[in-house]
Amino acid sequence: MSSGVTKQQVLSMYKLLLREAVKFPNYNFRSYALRRIRDGFKENKALTDLKQINQQYDFATENLNIIKRQVIVGDLYRTDKLVIENIQ
Amino acid sequence: MAAANIARSALRGLLRSSTTIRTPVVCRLSTVVLQQKFSTINAALKAYNTQYLQNGAQNISVRNYSGGPPLTLELIKSRVLLVLQLYDKINPEKLSVDCHFMNDLGLDSLDHVEVIMAMEDEFGFEIPDGDAERLVRPKDIIQYIADKEDIYE
Repeated sequence: MSSGVTKQQVLSMYKLLLREAVKFPNYNFRSYALRRIRDGFKENKALTDLKQINQQYDFATENLNIIKRQVIVGDLYRTDKLVIENIQ
Repeated sequence: MAAANIARSALRGLLRSSTTIRTPVVCRLSTVVLQQKFSTINAALKAYNTQYLQNGAQNISVRNYSGGPPLTLELIKSRVLLVLQLYDKINPEKLSVDCHFMNDLGLDSLDHVEVIMAMEDEFGFEIPDGDAERLVRPKDIIQYIADKEDIYE
């Protein structure tokens, strides 16, 4: 990711992150991750400096890997669903 | 001599009553009974079905786990619009089939990605990024899904 990151790459990173974050079995982690991803991208959507964009893109990649690992760990140690999840 | 005769007849009796002769008969009888029962059950079922299926008031709820109702253009349109109406950043009053997500509805490209993801979840297939960026109006999405599912007017 040394050269410029295209708009398509950023958008597909956004999608990948959201798709991965909804897999969190734990409600609190899931809703935090979704909120943090949305806020993070909203916050930095006006960036124009290439260096900063690359930096943020690397940060996102790193966090995507963290989320992937933590989803697996969360699957290993499942807990009961919260009361608010069982509405239906 | 007499003793030998008695012994022979006893042996014959034994042979006759042995299982090798009787079992096939028993088996055949039981299969006949089973078949008869089967046909009566079948007939009863058929009668029951015709009685209940012809009677409109008594609806048997049948659930097909293998697939939903066939998609039509109208159905796709209503489902797409419903998903868009439920998306919190879109004003349902402004929404129409022809409006542009970014220019008319004020969404940014991140929101657009979320709209496309909602469509993927609704219709159960993935939309590649290259196609997704061309779907800027609800009309385009409806057309894209109809093409994907082979649905024409």
